[in-house]
Amino acid sequence: MKQPIISFKNVIKCYDDDVPVLKNVSFEIEEGKFYTLLGPSGCGKTTILRMIAGFSEPTEGDIYFEGRRINNVPANKRQVNTVFQDYALFPHMDVYDNIAFGLRVKKLPKNQIDQKVKEALKMVQLAGYEKRGINEMSGGQRQRVAIARAIVNEPKVLLLDEPLSALDHKLRLDMQYELRELQQRLGITFVFVTHDQEEALAMSDEIFVLNNGNIVQSGTPVDIYDEPINHYVADFIGESNILNGTMIKDCLVEFAGKRFECVDEGMRENEPVEVVLRPEDLDLTDEEHGKLKVKVDTILFRGVHYEIICYDDEGNEWMVHTTKKAVPGTTIGLYFDPEDIHVMRFNESEEDFDARLESYED
Amino acid sequence: MKKYNAFFAIPYFLWLVFFVLAPVILIVGYSFFDSNGNFTLQNYATYFASGKYLAMTFNSVLYAFLITLLTLVISYPTAYFLTKLKHRDLWLLLIILPTWINMLLKAYAFIGIFSLHGGINRFMTFFGLAPHQILFTDVGFMIVATYIQLPFMIMPIFTGLEELNPSLIKASRDLGANAFQTFAKVVFPLSLAGVKSGIQAVFIPSLSFFMLTRLIGGNRVITLGTAIEEHFLVTQDWGMGATIGVVLIVAMFIVMIITGEKKKGGRN
Amino acid sequence: MEKKHNFSWDKLYLAVVFVFLYVPIVYLLAYSFNKGDTMNSFTGFSMRHFAELFSDTRLIVILLETFMLAFLSALIATAVGTFGALSIYYVKKRQQRMALLSLNNILMVSPDVIIGASFLILFTTIGSLVGGIGLGFWTVLLSHVAFSIPIVVLMVLPKLQEMNESMVSAAYDLGANNFQVLKDIILPFLTPGIIAGYFMAFTYSLDDFAVTFFVTGNGFTTLAVEIYSRARRGVSLEINALSTLVFLFALVLVVGYYYISKDNKSKKKSERRQKGGVMR
Repeated sequence: MKQPIISFKNVIKCYDDDVPVLKNVSFEIEEGKFYTLLGPSGCGKTTILRMIAGFSEPTEGDIYFEGRRINNVPANKRQVNTVFQDYALFPHMDVYDNIAFGLRVKKLPKNQIDQKVKEALKMVQLAGYEKRGINEMSGGQRQRVAIARAIVNEPKVLLLDEPLSALDHKLRLDMQYELRELQQRLGITFVFVTHDQEEALAMSDEIFVLNNGNIVQSGTPVDIYDEPINHYVADFIGESNILNGTMIKDCLVEFAGKRFECVDEGMRENEPVEVVLRPEDLDLTDEEHGKLKVKVDTILFRGVHYEIICYDDEGNEWMVHTTKKAVPGTTIGLYFDPEDIHVMRFNESEEDFDARLESYED
Repeated sequence: MKKYNAFFAIPYFLWLVFFVLAPVILIVGYSFFDSNGNFTLQNYATYFASGKYLAMTFNSVLYAFLITLLTLVISYPTAYFLTKLKHRDLWLLLIILPTWINMLLKAYAFIGIFSLHGGINRFMTFFGLAPHQILFTDVGFMIVATYIQLPFMIMPIFTGLEELNPSLIKASRDLGANAFQTFAKVVFPLSLAGVKSGIQAVFIPSLSFFMLTRLIGGNRVITLGTAIEEHFLVTQDWGMGATIGVVLIVAMFIVMIITGEKKKGGRN
Repeated sequence: MEKKHNFSWDKLYLAVVFVFLYVPIVYLLAYSFNKGDTMNSFTGFSMRHFAELFSDTRLIVILLETFMLAFLSALIATAVGTFGALSIYYVKKRQQRMALLSLNNILMVSPDVIIGASFLILFTTIGSLVGGIGLGFWTVLLSHVAFSIPIVVLMVLPKLQEMNESMVSAAYDLGANNFQVLKDIILPFLTPGIIAGYFMAFTYSLDDFAVTFFVTGNGFTTLAVEIYSRARRGVSLEINALSTLVFLFALVLVVGYYYISKDNKSKKKSERRQKGGVMR
């Protein structure tokens, strides 16, 4: 493995009121990848970002940048730049001056500044907007200026603090593509903070899911979506049906009053577990062919699919995403494959979880 | 971030010490000394024992009260009607404009208007009324004081009314209140903050006018301000002057406590 | 509807108030063009009081000195007050900040007479301790600076509170040091508040009579004090002529102020509109 560009070692952060916002966080970030810190507000993701940027110091633990401890290096001395949530553009400067700010502070020669600013503007598709005032720009354009202002300094790491949250839905989707593309073109590390799981899944190479000041799970979007470590992650990322069950033995799990074949291994016999089934993995079929018999309660049209809420005999709620229609009040069958079942142990640590998965996955 | 502040803020903190704290301490201190520099409570004893000072204080408060009442009565409707106008910023500016003319010049204008052969009396004789001496009377003093204070009352009330969320009025009408009920139950209570700061802005200076009493009131009207000026600059009895000053400061605090705005939550 | 009639009781009332507000001023100004020497009857048009005014070197010198005083005191007060506002803003504990702000506002709510009297005590006390402070220009200047500082703070502070903290963070993030952040980001952002503060300080100084009256000695006098002593002696239409000039000056200032504040407001509005557009 390459040397990580940023690493956190047992970082704890407390504010005045002593409740830690970060409880012993350790992780490593590699060069050239797109990372996302994902979690609800108050989970500590922005605190991590502020520490990388240098606006906040850890109470305990160390932060390393290319192997060098940077706990006490001030923000203006770090090779890291930030795109702020509200963009934080300087309203009394035009687009050009905003972007040139960091270069002027570094006292670069004028012609170099000029060339770099022009390049950065081209990069974010705003060539020709140099003389515009910040107030004359739309939200999406301001966003691009903020990005240009950061990348023009050629940082090794670009931090993005929920930069898409102020944009409307359509623009947000476009920007997801653009950010991903920009990261690949620049080849630098992006650390993106968001509470939006769709954004995280769409853009990242690697996602850190945070809860309550801890990193709960880290991995590629596919890993995290398909194999959430616990109830929290399963619930936070994507829609899911989560049920209590019992692991009878390897590859056999019981829930909703029935036993099902599955692909999970490495648990104790008869261990109580939780079971996740994604709504899109459930197929509608008739009563006889289904593995489970449910009664249709409501049906909502969601555009690309129907969202159907059903209840089984034990009263468990089942959400199904399907292109087939169902009639409320009728009884139908649900079908799913053994691979669609994902079993989660209670209180399993991330290391144990990874080790267990590795033991039977090839 | 802190370093540059500490350095550049030195003049400000020097100011706080020398021009805010020191003067307050000095004026309170001086009230406990006689003209020979000995510690004494005599000034306060004199103040509270002699009917002269108490009567003067009472008169001063009464005048200030009447002036405040008069300005309030004139100002509230003015501010209210102003909010209904189209170019209210411009009209408000016209209210403010007179405050930019030195108070002395305005007082001086009234010397001309009120004098025995001045504007008012010629106006009155035109209607067959005998000329009156208005200059150097308490009525004259009150009119001029009201004139000078008027903008300072109109402005805060206007601001208070302007800040009022228009949809509150719509909501009130929507809930069935008529125009009068809306005014009485919604608009007026919400504008009270403006009224209070207006009262503050008018009452305290009215207690302390001194040049106006000299120019317009003759020596018939003596306010706390006049008394302070007299003790400091004429009779040179600083101890007594400071004592009256302390009384004025106490009066000021009482007014501020009464009209003090208790910040209520949910104002946004 | 009723609005088609151009008459309404509201407007009549307002008209009466405006007449009350402006009659004395018009009266004052009109008589500056009087041929006669009193404010009692207008005997004919003449500019001779203006001629008198301009040949009255004592008054002209006082006029210039008064403006000089206002200019200087406002300048110093603005510098001190701006950094005062910054230091209040950066006080972290809410209670301490509130306490500082209350101290700041003491001079704002104190009656002029108290300020004048206490400054008089202050200067004589310092004079008797250190020696060498005679009452005059310097004591007046210091006093004007002193009572103008809090208004500057009050004009700058809201602008600071409006300031986006992340803008300052962004500047640090882009490599600026403390001084650059102050010079390139904070001060330019505060400029409208600083200008308004200077403006207010300037007018406070021009307008003051009471404080100056207390702390000035024989050598120095301002326009207000001079007018007071002349007015006590009786009517002199030279003062009317002066009033006319002062009024015109005030008018220019007011119009200037109106456009500055209007400009600020419309900028704010368009900003808000765009933000709103984004949120949707």
